[in-house]
Amino acid sequence: MVAAMSNSAAVAASTWVTTFLERLPAPAGELEAVQWRGREALSRQPLPSRRQEDWRFTDLAPLTALAPVLAPSSAQVGWPEPAADVFRLWLDAPDDLLNGQSLPAGLSILSSDEVQQALGHTLAACNCEQHWPVELNQASATRVLALRVSGAVVPTLELVSQAAEDGVMRPVRVLLLLEEKASLKVLQIQLGSGCSLSSLVMEAHLGRESTLRHGLLALGEGQACFLGHLAVEQEPRSQLESVWASHGWALSRFEPRVVQVDGEATTSLKALQLADGQQLVDTHSRVEFRGPEGQLDQLHKAIADDRGRSVFNGAVRVPRAAQRTNASQLSRNLLLSNQARIDTKPELEIVADDVRCAHGATVSRLQTDELFYLQSRGLSASVAAGLLKRGFCEEVLRALPAAAAAWRPLQRMLGED
Amino acid sequence: MSSSTSVGDLVSQPYKYGFVTDIETDKIDKGLSEDVVRLISSKKGEPQFLLDFRLRAYQQWLRMEEPDWAALGHPAIDYQEMIYYAAPRQQEKKASLDEVDPKLLETFDKLGIPLSEQKRLSNVAVDAVFDSVSIATTYREKLAEHGVIFCSISEAVKDHPELIERYLGTVVPSNDNFFAALNSAVFSDGSFVFIPKGVECPMELSTYFRINSGDTGQFERTLIVAEEGASVSYLEGCTAPMFDTNQLHAAVVELVALDDASIKYSTVQNWYAGDENGVGGIYNFVTKRGHCRGDRSHISWTQVETGSAITWKYPSCVLQGAHSVGEFYSVALTNNRQQADTGTKMIHVGPHTRSTIVSKGISAGHSSNSYRGLVQIGPKARGARNYSQCDSMLIGDQAAANTYPYIRSQQPEASVEHEASTCRISADQLFYLQSRGIGFEEAVSMMVSGFCRDVFNQLPMEFAAEADKLLALKLEGSVG
Repeated sequence: MVAAMSNSAAVAASTWVTTFLERLPAPAGELEAVQWRGREALSRQPLPSRRQEDWRFTDLAPLTALAPVLAPSSAQVGWPEPAADVFRLWLDAPDDLLNGQSLPAGLSILSSDEVQQALGHTLAACNCEQHWPVELNQASATRVLALRVSGAVVPTLELVSQAAEDGVMRPVRVLLLLEEKASLKVLQIQLGSGCSLSSLVMEAHLGRESTLRHGLLALGEGQACFLGHLAVEQEPRSQLESVWASHGWALSRFEPRVVQVDGEATTSLKALQLADGQQLVDTHSRVEFRGPEGQLDQLHKAIADDRGRSVFNGAVRVPRAAQRTNASQLSRNLLLSNQARIDTKPELEIVADDVRCAHGATVSRLQTDELFYLQSRGLSASVAAGLLKRGFCEEVLRALPAAAAAWRPLQRMLGED
Repeated sequence: MSSSTSVGDLVSQPYKYGFVTDIETDKIDKGLSEDVVRLISSKKGEPQFLLDFRLRAYQQWLRMEEPDWAALGHPAIDYQEMIYYAAPRQQEKKASLDEVDPKLLETFDKLGIPLSEQKRLSNVAVDAVFDSVSIATTYREKLAEHGVIFCSISEAVKDHPELIERYLGTVVPSNDNFFAALNSAVFSDGSFVFIPKGVECPMELSTYFRINSGDTGQFERTLIVAEEGASVSYLEGCTAPMFDTNQLHAAVVELVALDDASIKYSTVQNWYAGDENGVGGIYNFVTKRGHCRGDRSHISWTQVETGSAITWKYPSCVLQGAHSVGEFYSVALTNNRQQADTGTKMIHVGPHTRSTIVSKGISAGHSSNSYRGLVQIGPKARGARNYSQCDSMLIGDQAAANTYPYIRSQQPEASVEHEASTCRISADQLFYLQSRGIGFEEAVSMMVSGFCRDVFNQLPMEFAAEADKLLALKLEGSVG
């Protein structure tokens, strides 16, 4: 009986992939070769199943309930006006990405030769170019935003993608090459509603002493699903600060992969994910130190309410070459309902002896003594709980690039809008 | 570091239990089939229910696949090249120790486990298991006065079949996993402990396992039942001779604690670990699980793992009774090419259950030491609490320390905390101790035993000192 059921699930999964592939237009454009590659990989590789360790806690049912097709977009629903120091690009724009604007000083579009050379390099370095969500993106993305960053770029680069129509898929592919000593602030906004699928693959190569501040705000609604993948290669003395927040998707899975190619770099990862209703929100991060004296500071926070499920898997690899690494990881989870569920699993693999690696994880509800304190000051129980939740979220949200404030992340995450 | 030679040498102390006793044994030909299972059962004169249990497990085992998720990278085990039953040839179990083959007594004397009356450890009752068979159990009469049953599991099958039928396989079902199924089909001997209602066991109980034959797998089964309000402390020790081939040890240990009962299970595991190139040694694939069935029951696992080529075990607690408590204290030391993948599972089912996990891993040489643990809080475990701490110490830059703690929670009124850290024996700490006139090796073992103190404090007195010494010996020559 069980075997029969899993068999039929396997058949359904392979039908989903086949139907998805059939609906795609013929490969064309600058990413034609990549599309061929992705489609071939998908047709060979079935949908990930929960028997695979990496997907053990991630049920893809919300994804297979969708029947996504590529379709041009015209919607810009609920976008705030960009502030003066924000340079916004609409990644789903029907024709030219730049739409007549000229790029701010320090940013330039890579030539197609350069794209050919660089695209997929960081994915390969992070050992994830054959990963299923990546292949899904490669199979469908028709263009790539490929930028070279030289020197310090002043405005915040805001990249927005919105899947607002039922049944659409929005694949987004971004490639950033930061030259030596370059610096850039990027804010990515991913919006989804209805029965849509958003797929993101971003690669970033950080040259020596460069700095990338990256924020990702992924806000969904209804049946919408989001699969995001971020691959970063860091050269010595580069700095990466990545902050992401996700809420509202029926299924959301974000996979940051960072490799410090020769160590000596600084990585800071902060995340906040919320799951309520029947949502499943998942983060699988991996940081690998391939040289000495690397730094990692990772904070992952999650709230699961109602019947929501939150999953965190955080791998940190410290091989022999990575002496004097200093890494810390903390996973803090709030479980607010009897039917919600939290799965958290740090993974530390250490082969070097002169390192400092610590990690911690906690799962609890709101602290009763904190609630009591606020109530003793005259706040009602629900206001006190709201305040504590807000504080829990803000620790991460205030680390987003300043431009994110226009999108009112806290209000949208807590459903106060 | 200047001291590299000395710390390196400190770990490679020879294995002193590696001798083989030349004794005639009664073996079943190698290989495994339904006939072998039947033959084991008939040799032991077992009742029908047990034969059925074995055959069912064998059928289940045939349908299972050997797990490979721990990525241990050991060569495939040929289950048809193994002997499943070996017993030293002697007549029926002797009434008095004087009649036991002196060679066997000598073996256990050499291992530091004197069985003869005048040399016995006071206040510790010992069940000695040699290859597949229990040789002797000391202090049985004294225990019987209190109603405590402590005997080999084969004797228990004969003398107390109702207890065996009631409890065997209820904590670790025969289809639990590949190795548990194999054990259920072919288990030879092991210990049985039954503490009746309200009795506090008057002495420490201990089982000593010795593998002697070269090609024998060891499949013992231990079952400990503590009735309402009973309490017991049990210690398990093990050694094996040095062979170039790998031997499989797939034991199953089941603990059952009813209302207000308490079981403390300590292990000092010192199987042969193979030589420095990883040749030979025991594969220790063991399933250990305790079931806190009653309210306010308490199960505590303490383990000191120093031997085995590969250790793969997760002593677990299923906390079902309300307010029940599970504890896990572990020191795992690996050296040379040893691999240890060990940890625990704390399954919180009942309300207000509590668990504590303290795991200390020390890896030296080219070894790999992993902590893998699961803390699961079920939807009914209101007010459950868990605290886990796992620390790793790395000695040398070739050893690996991995940590994989899983936490699953479905109960908002529960709290789970986990923390982990990694450290090493640093040059300045060593320098400080040496400047105070403490010898290098002593300084290292001082720091190691300080690192492990939280766990050693949990061991019964007699064994804490021994465990400390064992670690110091095992580490000889490895710090640098």
